[in-house]
Amino acid sequence: MEKGNNSRRDFLLTGLITAGLISGCAPKADPFEAGASDIAVASGKKVKLLSVDGEEIEVDEAFLKPVPHMPPVSNTEARIGIPGKKFVMVIDLSRCKNLKKCQSACNHAHELNPGENWIKVDPMQDAEHTAPYWEPTTCMHCDEPPCVKVCPVDATFKRQDGIVLIDSDRCIGCRFCMAACPYSTRVFNWGAPEIAPAIAAQPYSCETSIPQKKGTVGKCDFCADMTRMGELPHCVSACPNGVFAFGDINEDSVSNGAETFRFSDLIKDKGGYRLMEDLGTKPSVYYLPPVSRNFPFESGLENDKVQNK
Amino acid sequence: MENSIIDEKIINDLLPQKFGKAGKIWIALLTVICLVGLFAYYRQLRYGLVVTAMRDYVSWGIYISNFVFFVAISLVGSLITAIFRLAGVKWGSPLTRIAEIIAVAAIIFASLIIIVDMGSPERFYYLFTHGRIQSPIIWDVIVITTYFFISLLLLYYPLLPDIKILLRFKEKSGNGLHKFYGYLGSFWKGTPAQFKLSEKAINILCITIIPVAFTIHTVTSWLFATTYRPGWDSTNFGAYFIAGAFLVGAGAVVVAMYVFRKAYHLEKYITENHFEKMGRVVVLLSLLYLYFNMNEFLTPFFKMKKSEEGYLTGLFSGDFAPVFWFAILIGMIIPIIILLFKSGRKPLPVFIVGIMVIIGAWFKRYLIVTPTLLHPFLPMHDAPASYLHYFPSWEEWAITIGSLAGALLIITLLARIFPVIPIQETLTEQHEKAV
Amino acid sequence: MKRLYKYFIALLAFAGILESYSAFAQPAPKGDLSVAINYYVNNNTVPSLLVRVKTKVDGRFQPVAGITLKLFLDKDSAGTSIGSVTTNRKGEGRIYIPVTVKKQWATSVKHTFLATFKGDKKYEEAKADLTVSRAKILLNTTDKTITATVLEMKDTTWVPVKGVELKIAVKRLTGDLPVNETPAFTTDSTGNVSADFKRDSIPGGKSGSIVLIAKIEDNDQYGNISVEKTVSWGAKFIPVNTFNKRTLFATRDKAPIWLQLIAYSILIAVWGILIFLVFNLFKIKKIGSRLE
Repeated sequence: MEKGNNSRRDFLLTGLITAGLISGCAPKADPFEAGASDIAVASGKKVKLLSVDGEEIEVDEAFLKPVPHMPPVSNTEARIGIPGKKFVMVIDLSRCKNLKKCQSACNHAHELNPGENWIKVDPMQDAEHTAPYWEPTTCMHCDEPPCVKVCPVDATFKRQDGIVLIDSDRCIGCRFCMAACPYSTRVFNWGAPEIAPAIAAQPYSCETSIPQKKGTVGKCDFCADMTRMGELPHCVSACPNGVFAFGDINEDSVSNGAETFRFSDLIKDKGGYRLMEDLGTKPSVYYLPPVSRNFPFESGLENDKVQNK
Repeated sequence: MENSIIDEKIINDLLPQKFGKAGKIWIALLTVICLVGLFAYYRQLRYGLVVTAMRDYVSWGIYISNFVFFVAISLVGSLITAIFRLAGVKWGSPLTRIAEIIAVAAIIFASLIIIVDMGSPERFYYLFTHGRIQSPIIWDVIVITTYFFISLLLLYYPLLPDIKILLRFKEKSGNGLHKFYGYLGSFWKGTPAQFKLSEKAINILCITIIPVAFTIHTVTSWLFATTYRPGWDSTNFGAYFIAGAFLVGAGAVVVAMYVFRKAYHLEKYITENHFEKMGRVVVLLSLLYLYFNMNEFLTPFFKMKKSEEGYLTGLFSGDFAPVFWFAILIGMIIPIIILLFKSGRKPLPVFIVGIMVIIGAWFKRYLIVTPTLLHPFLPMHDAPASYLHYFPSWEEWAITIGSLAGALLIITLLARIFPVIPIQETLTEQHEKAV
Repeated sequence: MKRLYKYFIALLAFAGILESYSAFAQPAPKGDLSVAINYYVNNNTVPSLLVRVKTKVDGRFQPVAGITLKLFLDKDSAGTSIGSVTTNRKGEGRIYIPVTVKKQWATSVKHTFLATFKGDKKYEEAKADLTVSRAKILLNTTDKTITATVLEMKDTTWVPVKGVELKIAVKRLTGDLPVNETPAFTTDSTGNVSADFKRDSIPGGKSGSIVLIAKIEDNDQYGNISVEKTVSWGAKFIPVNTFNKRTLFATRDKAPIWLQLIAYSILIAVWGILIFLVFNLFKIKKIGSRLE
């Protein structure tokens, strides 16, 4: 299993962490916890460590960084996305009580201008005699994104892993994408965003969407930087009720952090659907209907008053 | 001999005239309004679009309405010049220059206002360096550029014989203007060969400009119709926009006719008959536009789809109802009623109708943009209260009014430099009549 | 959530400082840190420690970055130092057991890890400890049945352990998918659990291979232990998508051919005419200049 020269992308392609580099260990050895810390390229430098049996063994240094140093990928690379992946989100409406932890985590993680929300939690009531429910909305990351169709300068783009991102260094601020998006997911930086000068001075990264810039459009990015590391988007891990589940449809699995589901079973068993299917946008976000709810609708009203006064 | 006296009289009547006192005040007023608009734009450049009242839901406001308005007015150049010429409508020839001047001024400000609407105008050139042919905005950029260029040519070609006449009056036009005329057209000698080439070119231009003019307005309508939004998601939109554009263009021409007639004492050249005829054109176009409005609103109203319900009731009986019915009444119904009567087609009533049509058209453009954006598919939620409604800020008004003033300024200046009625054509017609 | 957190909460040093004073005028009250040590072994190779540091902000625990902790094996002395670790933005720091504590490691099958934080301008000093016994999991697969055995080191031999909860799952990108409906299994008296693989035709990449994982999580005695095994029980899966195809939502260099044909032919036709008309002007000019 000496696959030391695997590129980072190949790692993610297979999704199998097989780059264990310990000589003299069990076959298929990967010495470390799966996940982030393994997404590194072997450096060839060996470090001596103590094995669980008290033996000295040599391990490649690249795998020893406490947290892998992941420089943000170039915006050219960010336009292509991760091969072999196709990210999906499942939002379980029966679990949402408008806590808005998703929203605050998202706003914090993306250094959003105060008042700007990429995640919105809407009180929905489809008809007079139907029951109201809370519906969190993110960017739908449509497979046929109307926003990308209309962009005049390639500032917003669809990647091969399904994520729709924005290049704020390219965006001319025409806001056609905002008009084109039926989900009203896009927000605009009407003025200079109020963010820390140190962050505002950073070069813009398409995957982190930081820093937001005056006169350009922003929106939910499925936390492309996190998914590149194999981690969950911030809204998913912030939700205490497990409303959001995120994963790779090519692996047929989604996870909300605590539980992992087989995507196809989840959609089948709970009657999953997508918003505004008739428009033909083919969203990547699926919803599970608000049946057998965990919370009454009213429990979310209090929080709504605070946020929408 | 008599002929040449009449000729000299005509030339004297039609030569561009220096501004009088009223003209100077008019120019000063327009300049001040433009400067206020420029100051507002400076503020917008400095602080960003946050100085406008546009927010995430109403992400397009009166800039875009104004853009559509300018594009609509610019269509008039093709209507008067090209269609009349190709259809052999003789009485229209004194109006062609006015139409061309309006078209050029409007198209210049249409392109300026779209830059004003951009959040990052310093990246305007990306439209050319990174343009995506899939985007209707790029189609619009291409077609506006093309139309601007055609309009310039269509203004320039028929101007050549007139420039030859203008060059004869050096002391009247002054040194600077004389040089400018010389630069523009000293090569025109009026030989049959030159006339033949020019005639051919104007014919080609007239044929070319019609599809391009249709395209410019259709593509502009597609900026809306290629989205899913209620009120925009309409296959009727291209034709609806073109009908509206013809109407407002014709309205602009009758207003300009009236003003130039008064200001330059052109009663002999722009006659009551012209108003009578243009009145008929306007009533026809009003009826056409009314028809498209019925098409646009009656069928959705009949169905009352849920996604369109809020938008439609907002227009018919809600917040936008006063503006909506005002625009329908003043922009179509009342003009139709006035112009159906013979006495309604006298110069003054036609002029008033023209103003009504223009005002109605401007508000109609406002109604095309804003109400739709205030009725998205998903509820407007988790956004600051200021995002839930739209009323333009003073900067938006200043820039919009400034752009309108700018267009008027260009029209005024062009009318100062060039004869508003083609002199050579009038002479030729006069000779034909005499024969 | 059975998390093995050991909280050490120190007293506030500067309590009750007048609120009207700014943070610059007065030393702000130092915050309390809660430190937790987690022990990990994967595939029975090198053990590692993950230290998590949090503090309470407005009643909620938030991770603290940039905290440097010293770690020791069994006792706080120079010879048993594991090293020091600094937390990242998620308030986590990971360290592996160095060879320098080989001697101490050999003294027992059960060890205590100590973490100490000296305190700084913002936070009080804090400590944590964690004691784990050495254990391992063996993972065997036969015909879509998975057997995992949990063994503990007792003196010098591995003995099966009864009653240990463990999970058997398929490794996926964002989380581990249980192999069947049972979320967790408990070992019997022979230390065994067996699970049927019910995730038929789950996509497994180009070769159809998937990675199974058996793991003990946050166990009071053993910490976090996991083993992995690659099996070819998945369905072969080759993703298809429209990326880089000529579509209306592709990039500018991937515009549909029909669109380009229509657009550019119109463009060429119209501008061809316009250029001709400009040339025509020059022709007119030439005629004029010949006359002069």
